[in-house]
Amino acid sequence: MRRREFLQVGLQGLGLVAAHSLVLPPLAGCTVMEPPLEPALGTALELHITEALVEMIDKTPVYHWLFAPRPGGIDFGPRFPGPVIFATAGEAIRIALTNDLDEDHAFEVAGVAGTASGPIPPGGTATVDFVVPVAGTYIYLDPLNAPLNRVLGLHGVLVVLPGGFDPAGPVNTPYTNPTPAVQRLFDDLGTAPQFPGDPWLAERTTVWLFHQIDPEVNARVQAGLPVDPARVRENFLPRYFTLNGRSGALAAHSDDTVLQGFVGEPRLVRIVNTGLVTHSPHIHANHVFPTSIDGVVQENVPSIDTWTVAPLDRIDWLVPFVRPPDIPGDPLVPLRQLLARELSLVVGGVPQSPLRYPMHGHNEPSQTAAGGNYPQGLVTDLVFLGDVDKVPFPNSHLGIGGPPHVPGSDDHDAH
Amino acid sequence: MAIRTIPRGEVPPGEKAHLLKFVCPPTFDGGPFDPQPRTVLVERKLMRNEKLQLPSRVRVKTGRRELPIWIIEDPDDSRNGRVFPSKTIRVRQDSVVHARVSASTNTHTIHWHGIEPSPINDGVGHTSFELTSRFVYQFSPHTTGTYFYHCHKNTVLHFEMGLYGLLIVDPPEGPGFTRANVPGVPGFDPARMLVRYDVEAFWVPDEMDSVWHELGHDAFMQACDDDDPLAPDTFTRDGFLNDFRPDVFLITGVVSDGSSIVDPRVQVRARVGQTILVRLLNAGYTIQEYTLPVDATVIGIDGHPLGVPPFGIYSQPYTIPAGTPFRLTSARRFDLLLRPTARGTFPAQFRYIDWIRGTAYHTASTSIVVQ
Repeated sequence: MRRREFLQVGLQGLGLVAAHSLVLPPLAGCTVMEPPLEPALGTALELHITEALVEMIDKTPVYHWLFAPRPGGIDFGPRFPGPVIFATAGEAIRIALTNDLDEDHAFEVAGVAGTASGPIPPGGTATVDFVVPVAGTYIYLDPLNAPLNRVLGLHGVLVVLPGGFDPAGPVNTPYTNPTPAVQRLFDDLGTAPQFPGDPWLAERTTVWLFHQIDPEVNARVQAGLPVDPARVRENFLPRYFTLNGRSGALAAHSDDTVLQGFVGEPRLVRIVNTGLVTHSPHIHANHVFPTSIDGVVQENVPSIDTWTVAPLDRIDWLVPFVRPPDIPGDPLVPLRQLLARELSLVVGGVPQSPLRYPMHGHNEPSQTAAGGNYPQGLVTDLVFLGDVDKVPFPNSHLGIGGPPHVPGSDDHDAH
Repeated sequence: MAIRTIPRGEVPPGEKAHLLKFVCPPTFDGGPFDPQPRTVLVERKLMRNEKLQLPSRVRVKTGRRELPIWIIEDPDDSRNGRVFPSKTIRVRQDSVVHARVSASTNTHTIHWHGIEPSPINDGVGHTSFELTSRFVYQFSPHTTGTYFYHCHKNTVLHFEMGLYGLLIVDPPEGPGFTRANVPGVPGFDPARMLVRYDVEAFWVPDEMDSVWHELGHDAFMQACDDDDPLAPDTFTRDGFLNDFRPDVFLITGVVSDGSSIVDPRVQVRARVGQTILVRLLNAGYTIQEYTLPVDATVIGIDGHPLGVPPFGIYSQPYTIPAGTPFRLTSARRFDLLLRPTARGTFPAQFRYIDWIRGTAYHTASTSIVVQ
């Protein structure tokens, strides 16, 4: 089973059954088999606050402060970013924190009252009990020395789903109280002529956490040198730009970052920015709908190809996964016929099928790594696996980057 | 306890070709593939070295008096084909466009930003290829609005150096009309969701870092290693394209020296009662903040008209009151309708704000002259 199937299983369980769980980012940017962590109801989500060296895209190790999930005492190790916490609106949640570091740390869900742990001394513990807020996308972080502790890596995403999906009820949206425009959009998916295919399914959700790293700041903290939090922003020179903890080719190659599906499989992308730059992410192939901005479900939902994501912003995009609309030819003819020649091309040793596009930061300095080169920063891919009738394009098993790796097998990409 | 390491991850052997292509896009020529009968032919050539004359009050870090820039040229137009921003492409909605693009210097691509064709026509190297001689891109824009085109090779540099131009998709009725759902605006046709404008303005604010303009095409690009595409020694650690410190500020190719720009490419002239359509594009890497002297109705965003089927029906036009600042980041577009009601000369302000610090580098201005 590839990791995305686990993600879907976890999310389906969450969407249909009230429960809470953690989903870990893969450790090494490739397929890692790990169960979603679903502690029994009523038990705490255990998070340690610890340190680690995180290897950047150019393999430079950079010191970080990180959350490490330890459900039931099992040590899953520090994570960059912290694990995605899934919860259902209205449920009671308990987070048990242990500070393994040498200075005070803390936990809170940014902007949500009653979630702050207060300072936890070195070696200390704290417990946070709160009722999960309305459905949406939230950032949890260490608020101390703002923005330093967050920028050093103590951050993650809390996804809150609305409770009680009812198959016989109104069409599902990801929100507790959708606006008329957002309800209409979700009603139209799979029913209106502009959105042939499926309605939105809760498991078709992706979390994108944008972050930036200035290794000189991290190095000072590692060396025990003082860093004035009030001056971090004015002196910040990011050298690495990450998406769910990875950059460039690896971020465009991971199950948890790449958007893929057939035409007509709309997907919700929950975007947050825990760093200090204002990004301008641009998606190719589809205009998308910003349905929620900083916790506010939108009344006026344009279709856009580029959006502003400032520090601590939380933006939901509904990516409709419509057939790329500006391909010439009869819209009733499937793309596998209309683009027969293109889908048969192999360019640079890589098949042009399935159809692959980028999403990338259009503040293009975010496309660099180690101060140079393109594109090794905030970038990932959007992949169309087949037509709306679910007939796959050639090689659609290639999906994310390439075929599932079988140890000892030949290089499939050479075909 | 020893500090733990979170590994970067390695490239599975079966996926090496894909990662190599990502790092080092191949070159390719030809096209159009899967052709449809063409209704419009566009020619563009990359690229041409030009120099931007700097006003006497503008001092740059390199000490130069003229800034080297790169432009995309229309090789068939000896009179107006060598301009900056690159010559605007104007096509009608639903036309089938063949864009014959040649690269005479180095490798390049053209991405038609906001237009959504198939990947080989999308102009992104790592998901298709770069071109060395000529490729014919094919697309059919189905939505009336404001787009742009730019080179997507080593984009951080090539876009900054000036390799971009506007791409306007007019409705079948042609220039002078655009689409939006704006009941109450004179000249609005609700049956066709069509709105007529009298004056069209193009505001394309941009900014440049003169130090970058001393660099070559492939500056700081990663080296290609067939065996290990992400080998640490393929990265150019002395690069500085993460560090953008602009010292030249422009609107639609006109350099600002702080005084109000009167160049006709930027200054807008209209009569009372006329409708002005402003096509606004952030073509830079700063957060841009605009303050306009008259109410501006946002009728289109990123090439898609508000309130117009099929994809615009979840939105409606909205008005930004005169004097209220608003912001766009890189590559975002607004189509704005302005209907000045009084005679006079009214200043419009453009601030260029750092993407990290939030402080303004420069304020440029121009005016709307109403007679």
